Amino acid sequence: MPDHAEDEAKYYDDPEWADIEPIQQADQGPNPLAAIAYTDEYAEAMAYLRTVMARDEKSERVLRLTKDVIEMNPAHYTVWLYRAQVLFATHADLHKELEWLNETASQYQKNYQIWHHRQLIVSRLCPDPASSAATRGPPFPGAGIDVDSLVAKETSFVASMFDKDAKNYHVWSYRQWLVRHFGLWDKGELEFTEASIEKDVRNNSAWNHRWYVVNGKEGSEGVKEEKVREREIAFTKRQIRLAPQNQSPWNYLRGILRKANLRFSTVQDFCIEFADLSKPEGDDVFSSHALDLLADIYAVDEGRNEQAKRCLLLLKDKYDPIRANYWQYRLEMLDKEMGSGIDSHLPEHETRNLTSAVSV
Amino acid sequence: MTLAFFTISALDLLSSLVPNTTPEERAAYIDWIYSCQIPSGGFRASPSHDLSAVKDGSAQWDPANVPATYFALATLLILGDDLNRVRRKETLKWLRCMQRDDGSFGETLVNGKIEGGMDTRFGYCATCVRYILRGKREGRDPTSEEQDIDVDALVECLRKAETYDGGMSEMPFHEAHAGFTYCAIAALHFIDRFPWPICSQPSEGQRAFNKMPLRKEDIVSTTSSEQQGGRKTCGLTSPNLTIHWLASRLTATISIEDEEDTYADETDTPETCHDAHSFVHTANFPTSMGETSEKSRPSSHFALDWVGFNGRCNKVADTCYAFWVGAGLTLMNASRVVHPTPVRRYLLEQTAHIVGGFGKLPGDPPDVYHSYLGLAALSLLETAAQAAHESPREGLRKPMEERELKALDACMCVSIEAKSRLYAIWQRWGVHDGKDRDGGG
Repeated sequence: MPDHAEDEAKYYDDPEWADIEPIQQADQGPNPLAAIAYTDEYAEAMAYLRTVMARDEKSERVLRLTKDVIEMNPAHYTVWLYRAQVLFATHADLHKELEWLNETASQYQKNYQIWHHRQLIVSRLCPDPASSAATRGPPFPGAGIDVDSLVAKETSFVASMFDKDAKNYHVWSYRQWLVRHFGLWDKGELEFTEASIEKDVRNNSAWNHRWYVVNGKEGSEGVKEEKVREREIAFTKRQIRLAPQNQSPWNYLRGILRKANLRFSTVQDFCIEFADLSKPEGDDVFSSHALDLLADIYAVDEGRNEQAKRCLLLLKDKYDPIRANYWQYRLEMLDKEMGSGIDSHLPEHETRNLTSAVSV
Repeated sequence: MTLAFFTISALDLLSSLVPNTTPEERAAYIDWIYSCQIPSGGFRASPSHDLSAVKDGSAQWDPANVPATYFALATLLILGDDLNRVRRKETLKWLRCMQRDDGSFGETLVNGKIEGGMDTRFGYCATCVRYILRGKREGRDPTSEEQDIDVDALVECLRKAETYDGGMSEMPFHEAHAGFTYCAIAALHFIDRFPWPICSQPSEGQRAFNKMPLRKEDIVSTTSSEQQGGRKTCGLTSPNLTIHWLASRLTATISIEDEEDTYADETDTPETCHDAHSFVHTANFPTSMGETSEKSRPSSHFALDWVGFNGRCNKVADTCYAFWVGAGLTLMNASRVVHPTPVRRYLLEQTAHIVGGFGKLPGDPPDVYHSYLGLAALSLLETAAQAAHESPREGLRKPMEERELKALDACMCVSIEAKSRLYAIWQRWGVHDGKDRDGGG
């Protein structure tokens, strides 16, 4: 929010801006579409912004003006780009810029531009972390950068953003960029994902980040490498045992098997821990995702289509009825594969306990 | 331009545009849109960015904007404009300039540099603009003689956005997200690189059920090969995994109260576990806390009366994802994977607001974005319900055949009626595309 509350024009009365004739927005005619009721403050700031943009002015006063506009409309798609160019052209103190971004980020957490801008600033401060020299280009306040200190500040800031919203998409994207840019693959990222997952085992963003840290480095084999794969499978199984109905680690497990080109049946016994269909009078199912994976295992790897069908029927009628239509769709696909008609309903003795399964 | 599109298209879906506006007003809206057109091609997002009146000034900070161009052209079609004033040649030329070497599209071009994100939203908007202006056929456009975008590069870019669990993300290795997933699927339709047919060939069965990636040689576009006699690479390397991912977005976690924090909580009960509302059975509990929690659960299976969609695994439902996921499934030829009734009830009873429109979550005030996408989702649900011969209005007196909303084209996100105006325009422009066969409604 702007930090002044005067009613009078801010720029019009300011002698520093006396040379500028502000460009008002063109008259939209009697029937504009989606006419925005701009505040007088915003309209005035935009009028001055248009003028300096048209001249491509790069000066300190533009920094103040762009800051003002951003604080009123952070989604403006050119003002951030313009500000970045002005910052670089005037050799502004980029550390101060980061501090300001820290303040505003908490207000505008879901804004793409702010994170892209941050990336530009950090890249400018440290374009080539691999080299021991500070920065290339003309010296400016903040030159002689301590890379480790910058990284520590950035990762700490990112962690504080996660305290507010552990699943903020932009922040995770930015963290991925930090990892890649500063080569943080082996610098505590895996531990960070473990801590995030420990905090909330259902944080899918943390699981995704782990996948990235393990598999995303250029030239790395990731889970194709046996040692890595075994570690990841063990970790995932541990997390599944904590919360079997959590889909994130099940997706992660499937992902590992696919990438490593392993048959799903390698985890068949593990699945049965959570979905034991061997009991004649019923079933002992802790996880619909285990049933789902078993359906795939039986359908393909073992050629046990009847078992696969049973899994899908249980999912459809009992364990994941929210997705009943999807499980029916899978049954139809299985049927096509089998080339025979199927009975798409559970036998009576299995439906009898459907409602009582819900009550205590 | 975004707000203009949502407003006009929403009114169109409601069949309220023509009855509530005069021809003069609609002509003025069309003029307003054209006032945002940039002479060198494309449209700006709003008049507030207009620097064209500046004497001796440069317009480098008033660039054409990719999403705005899509919204502008789509809105013009809805308003019944014949696109005669569109600078077709310039826009096609500019569009090519908006594509980076890695195949992705950006938002704007400033000082010769492509700026803005590089995710599938821009690919979607760019390919839709291309579709509107020149259809699906690849290669040099005969009328304007403008070169095409690099379709192969875009397909590669889209493939790299596929995640380990079947969705698509903002960039390689980012988290799968329903919005980006929809945009990727629709973009593939627009460039005719969608992997038809999917899920129906026995030879795919083995791989399909194991959700292994299709081999490169399996992934061909049959329509492209008709046109060009060659085999072209398609996107979506594992369509069945993508359908699985989209189907997993159905959730009964529809309010913030449902989405309780689960810090250090290893039990699985409806109170503490996302998507456990639908998971009804537990035999033994790892902890006594879990057992106590289980005893406090209600006995009726009420939670499935309202079903929404989330955008990512283990997140709360949000109105807009009813469109992103619903349309995504439609384009995958899998709309029957969703049972329309509880989703309709979720939209109309939970996120619809008492003053009208839709909010993001139950109780949220309405906004134009969620309102439009809520309507779009309802339109697709009507279409799906009709297709399944199921009454979309159970318990109510209207006959099944009478739609409440115009049928939506799932790919362009406008009414099919508006989209159909393209065919006459294409004739005028010499665009020979024939009837397209995307899953769009």
